[in-house]
Amino acid sequence: MDPGFFAQYLINGLVQGITYALVAVGFTLFFGVLDVIKFSHGDVLMLGAFTALALFLGLDQLSTPAWLSLTIMLCLGVIAMALLGALLCKFLVLPLKESPPLNTLLITLMFGSVIREGVRLFFPNGSNPKPFPALLPETSINWGNLNLRLDSVILIFTGAMAIVLTHLFIQKTRMGLAIRAVAQDEETARLMGINFNKTVLMTFALGSGLAALSGISTGLYYQEINFSMGLMLGVIGFSAAVVGGLGSIYGAIVGGLLFAFLQTLGAIWFSVPAYKDVFAFTVIIMLMAWRPTGLLADRSAERV
Amino acid sequence: MVSMLTVDNLTAGYDEADVVSNVSLNVIEGKITCLLGANGAGKTTLIRAILGLNNIRAGLVTFSDKDISSWATHDIASEGVTCVPEGRRVFGKMTVLENLQAGAFLERNASVVMQRLKQVYDFFPKLEERSDQLAGTMSGGEQAMLTIGRSLMSNPSLMIFDEPSLGLSPLFVKENFRIIKDINEKGMTVLLVEQNVRQTLEIAHFGYVLSQGKIVASGSVDSLKNNSELRAAYFGSA
Ligand SMILES: Nc1ncnc2c1ncn2[C@@H]1O[C@H](COP(=O)(O)OP(=O)(O)OP(=O)(O)O)[C@@H](O)[C@H]1O
Ligand SMILES: [Mg+2]
Repeated sequence: MDPGFFAQYLINGLVQGITYALVAVGFTLFFGVLDVIKFSHGDVLMLGAFTALALFLGLDQLSTPAWLSLTIMLCLGVIAMALLGALLCKFLVLPLKESPPLNTLLITLMFGSVIREGVRLFFPNGSNPKPFPALLPETSINWGNLNLRLDSVILIFTGAMAIVLTHLFIQKTRMGLAIRAVAQDEETARLMGINFNKTVLMTFALGSGLAALSGISTGLYYQEINFSMGLMLGVIGFSAAVVGGLGSIYGAIVGGLLFAFLQTLGAIWFSVPAYKDVFAFTVIIMLMAWRPTGLLADRSAERV
Repeated sequence: MVSMLTVDNLTAGYDEADVVSNVSLNVIEGKITCLLGANGAGKTTLIRAILGLNNIRAGLVTFSDKDISSWATHDIASEGVTCVPEGRRVFGKMTVLENLQAGAFLERNASVVMQRLKQVYDFFPKLEERSDQLAGTMSGGEQAMLTIGRSLMSNPSLMIFDEPSLGLSPLFVKENFRIIKDINEKGMTVLLVEQNVRQTLEIAHFGYVLSQGKIVASGSVDSLKNNSELRAAYFGSA
């Protein structure tokens, strides 16, 4: 293949892969501390993107400069979803702690539908796709067949930074130590003086903030969002987390990149674009049959 | 004699059944108080109820004159109660050093933590050698030291041990008892749950015997040693 095309696919795949990894890290964190699957994750991502869009529409009225709008959208979008994640955890997930995991799965699934339908009904003209502002620089350079967009580079860099910072937070800070302790042995963590509920709330806030970042990145990249965008991203993020090894952050990153890589391969092989997802999911299903506990599950040194 | 931890008519259990009922005991400041009893007597259930890990159905737990009966476990820990839990339960996927840091979770002052770390390393030089090893890959004996070190890192005023010698080789069991005695001689108040009767009575000052969820004997270690009924029933006749 032409190296320019190859590089183009690689860059596009990386933007996607990082987006998926951001979602997958959330699934992995939630599962790590509480052994739950939170199915509203994709819809929280979508709501993060819509929150940012709503903020933009407001800021645009005040003719705010693009960089300032973007900063505000990112900060407030992430903070709002972090708060929502913590509230969701406090009122829907923690109270169900002693009941079967299936209940949590169902309740969060339903809550996700509430968010989705809420946006569809109450966001002005919410059932149609919404244009998302192109706030990143539109510069690009052409290099043979490679069209390197600056916004792709920025998105890859931002997403990778967010994941690295999350990793450092978990490995190097006191709160991170609490998260790891709770993930490994909840009761012993409590005996060490760690406040279990607070730790779990923090983790849900963190994961939901990352989902918002992922949603806003998606909007900036495709310049379009819609109320059901979280469905596919949620399923992909979840698959990525599972195939990488639920509970492992490295696994989530590997899973996210792998999924994007498979989609890219699918897009190259099949001329019909819709086949790329079929192809990627088929391979993921086969990988899961081959390694039910995930690719990194037995090799990764830590869970969370 | 000041009672640091007082359990008053405590009842606790799981689901429908009460596992321990109307248990009262005192843990005397600066002494080793032991709780003896056969498998399934309810020792762990009692300890977990004291620590807020199990619900208390009736009764009171008082620590340093505070009623902690309904406190959350992490609040009890922050009052200075620590536990070396049954089965040790090191954080297997953390290093030895991280396990010790987790033990000092409540201390925010890094230099104080370093100071405690040094004390624990002086006490257990092996832990310093192994500080970067994943705790889960250590031998049972090393893990036993680690859990004791981890508890010491919180600078507790009461240490509760739940069968610390379970699953250790005879040599390590002996070592373990020596360590507990050492810690106590430095001033620590200890509640020691054990089945290893003879060695426990060697180092303890006071004891309680739990049988089917009830206290059936209690008193100074000497009086327990001479209790012929108990000797026959629980300690073998030696
Ligand atoms: N989580 C639980 N759910 C229901 N019953 C339990 C639970 N844990 C313990 N039990 C029951 O409570 C009783 C007392 O158990 P406990 O673990 O307190 O005994 P123990 O004295 O600590 O025994 P051992 O010396 O074997 O550790 C047992 O009959 C046990 O089956
Ligand atoms: Mg026990």
